[in-house]
Amino acid sequence: MKQLQIAIESTTLANGLKVVIAPDTTAPVVTVGVYYKIGFRLEPRGRSGFAHLFEHMMFQGSANASKTQHIKLINSSGGVLNGSTHYDVTNYYEAVPSNALERVLWLEADRMRALKVDDENLRNQRDVVKEEVRVNVLNQPYGGFPWLDLPPVAFRNWANSHNFYGDFTDLDAADLADVFTFFKTYYVPNNAVLLILGDVKPEEGFALAKKLFADIPAGPTPPFADPTEPEQNEERRGNVEEKFGTLPAMAIGYVVPKRRTADWCAMALLDQALHGGRAGKLYRELVLEKQVAVELDGGIDDIFGYNGPTQMVTRIMHKPEYSSEQTLAAFDEVIREIQENGISEDELAQLKVKWQSDFVSLLESGHGGMPRYGLMHLLACFTLFDNEPQLVNSILDGFLAVKREEVQAAARKYLVKEKRAIVFRTPTASSAKEAA
Amino acid sequence: MATRAVEVNSAVPALSAERQVTWPKRQKARLSNGLEVILVESHTIPKFHGELFFRSGNAAAIDRGPGVAEMTATLVRTGTTKRASRQIEEDLRRIGADLASSAGSDTSAISFAGLSDFAEPLLGMVNELARDAAFPEAEFERERRQKLEEVKLDRTQPGFLAGERLRKVLFGAHPYGVVSPSEAQVAAYKRDDLLGVYRDFYTPENGMLLLVGDFQPDAMLKSVEKVFGAWQGKKPLSSVFAAPANPRGRRVHLVHLPGAVQTQILAGCHAITRKHPDWVKLGLTNSLYGGAFNSRLVMNIREDKGYTYSPRSGVNPLRQYGYFSVSAAVRNDVVAASLTEIFYEMDKLRSLPVPEAELADAQNYLSGVFSMGLATQNGLLSQIAVVALNELPEDYLETYRQKVRAITPTDLLETARKYLDSANMQIVVVGDRAQIESQAALFGDLEVYDAQGKRLG
Repeated sequence: MKQLQIAIESTTLANGLKVVIAPDTTAPVVTVGVYYKIGFRLEPRGRSGFAHLFEHMMFQGSANASKTQHIKLINSSGGVLNGSTHYDVTNYYEAVPSNALERVLWLEADRMRALKVDDENLRNQRDVVKEEVRVNVLNQPYGGFPWLDLPPVAFRNWANSHNFYGDFTDLDAADLADVFTFFKTYYVPNNAVLLILGDVKPEEGFALAKKLFADIPAGPTPPFADPTEPEQNEERRGNVEEKFGTLPAMAIGYVVPKRRTADWCAMALLDQALHGGRAGKLYRELVLEKQVAVELDGGIDDIFGYNGPTQMVTRIMHKPEYSSEQTLAAFDEVIREIQENGISEDELAQLKVKWQSDFVSLLESGHGGMPRYGLMHLLACFTLFDNEPQLVNSILDGFLAVKREEVQAAARKYLVKEKRAIVFRTPTASSAKEAA
Repeated sequence: MATRAVEVNSAVPALSAERQVTWPKRQKARLSNGLEVILVESHTIPKFHGELFFRSGNAAAIDRGPGVAEMTATLVRTGTTKRASRQIEEDLRRIGADLASSAGSDTSAISFAGLSDFAEPLLGMVNELARDAAFPEAEFERERRQKLEEVKLDRTQPGFLAGERLRKVLFGAHPYGVVSPSEAQVAAYKRDDLLGVYRDFYTPENGMLLLVGDFQPDAMLKSVEKVFGAWQGKKPLSSVFAAPANPRGRRVHLVHLPGAVQTQILAGCHAITRKHPDWVKLGLTNSLYGGAFNSRLVMNIREDKGYTYSPRSGVNPLRQYGYFSVSAAVRNDVVAASLTEIFYEMDKLRSLPVPEAELADAQNYLSGVFSMGLATQNGLLSQIAVVALNELPEDYLETYRQKVRAITPTDLLETARKYLDSANMQIVVVGDRAQIESQAALFGDLEVYDAQGKRLG
């Protein structure tokens, strides 16, 4: 595969707003995203779940577009919209026929300039968010496993270890003052990037961005709590009851080295060797060969989208006739094998081809019916974390340069018990009985 | 619904002139062995996406047991006469490819994506899986055990339980009435039955190969001929099933899930397939009702009342029959209130013409999102698959937007009256009986089941 050459242009407005444009006229569709550099990791203490609740509030009205208007104006332009809250960013995005570009940008500018919401809006969205938590976590077999289960076991810094979806008491405690404080602190143009992808001429995109966003005043540089974790020197374990599901499950997480280091690249290929689908060593051994597990998957989720501590996580659901310790022993055997023998040249070559292929697919990958979500996400993260959107075209180089000794070295250095956390999700007696 | 006065600010920028939507050319061919081939260029990334469909799925295999076509598809990638499972997986990784095999009610399919540089080896793999799968005994036993655990797990999920019950209620003894096998049925699967399904269904005369991506179509067609040309096999006999009865009168079907902290509502009624002349009209009616974020139901029970996070309605077309459905996962104490609004919005669409402005918004929405598929290889593939599998007219993609824009308020009223069959909706609720039974019983005669499908009352 030849070197990627995605056309990318970028600038920074006087108020600090970064603007990135990736033109592509294949279809008369334009994708717009606004990313703010604040996610649930650094939301205020005592307000777990607030970053996500706040994301909902951004759809509740702004100075010139009252509640329901954001939704109505995008849908009636022939487009779709959504937002999502991540560890270190929160995004708002739309995909529309390209004749609606100015309208979309106007709406994004309006809510960046002046959110306009009231207590009734907050009560309404608090109810909606609680149902979201119930449908995804509390009323779902293995809900929140392991993305909500593992952090409190694995991490010691509140930023990394708290309940990101929010304890209901914290959601209830959030008031309108919290909403506006959060907005004024983090939702400033100098803490955001605007992305325009698809059917747009760069000069027109920049001109519109300037026209609509340039007069939004910059704010003070937001304060960010330190997410650094104290050194971990012991294996950490925790247990969570499974109320509905019938199979015992576990998740094993190892801390990932700092992003954009050589170790990080080696760890990514090690991750592929272990978790790369049915060819991955873990699936092959635990599901196909030893047949201890029924399901197994995992890896470093959204590897480019983190700006703080994260883990490579293996998720296993195993047969009830094997104990947790037997299952873990089978897992450990695979880890020991790769630490002792590493991987072959042939395997490394396979991993690199697959890695490239997956990266290219990621660029096109959609989300909620929206094309090119993946490219937007990468451009946003490389801009906000690295100030270098062009990394999309060159980031693969580091991974393709990894040598087999480095993969083995990463296994020895990072896949150690003192650096891992394990959560066991065990069916309660009643759910196991009912299934019998 | 307490509607707020909503005014659109005059500062909202108007839409500029629309750019022409141009669907790419579909190059069609039929190989001498009967395999239909459709090729479409899309150069967005240096990859291609493909799907090898067979026009028979779980419904056609029902005499061998529920889900047997799905189990057959699962086994297809676990070994061929030339490659063992491990070799298949490594060879796919070597060329950077992804592959999945699955079966739905009406089709079986091998789906794949890979780098254009390695198109021929990937096609070779697909061909091998479609022709030379070996169904190794040990793999069969392993997959069957995995399937057993999977069907147990499925019946702990509220969404699955609701869908399973609704299909049972709407389609009864017709094969569409079963979405998943029981544990006993999985235990009774026989390798010979899988082989039989494979022999009958996986033939070039029964197949259709779709390829979308970064390639030159003439060269790609030559590769396809080279790889698939020698394959032989007849179309299977088509199975005929008695038409399902259309259930009359609203009834409530409660699936008891002890300890549930939320209630999954799913209501539905018979509707139409994609081939029906009313299909586009029903699509627009649905998007006004609950098929879009900006729809009446979402604005009502989410944005106004906060009962639920993700209410949605949809039209579900199977090949022979279609059904309309509406779903919402709601707080336990607002089950009756939510159902009241669900029917209020349905009856309103059946009673009052939709205002012109709201109609225009919905028309814009539907014709806009229809074109999103153009932007990616995967999106294009799924649009083209819909047209090809349902044997829709050649110009379906090109004329869809015109059809949407021609719909009038009178059309919508007629469509809602025909297909949003309020009086005969079958209501499924999945939740803790003690918390919701009395609320649910307000909406019709009530039957109660457990998660395994056993009648409790």
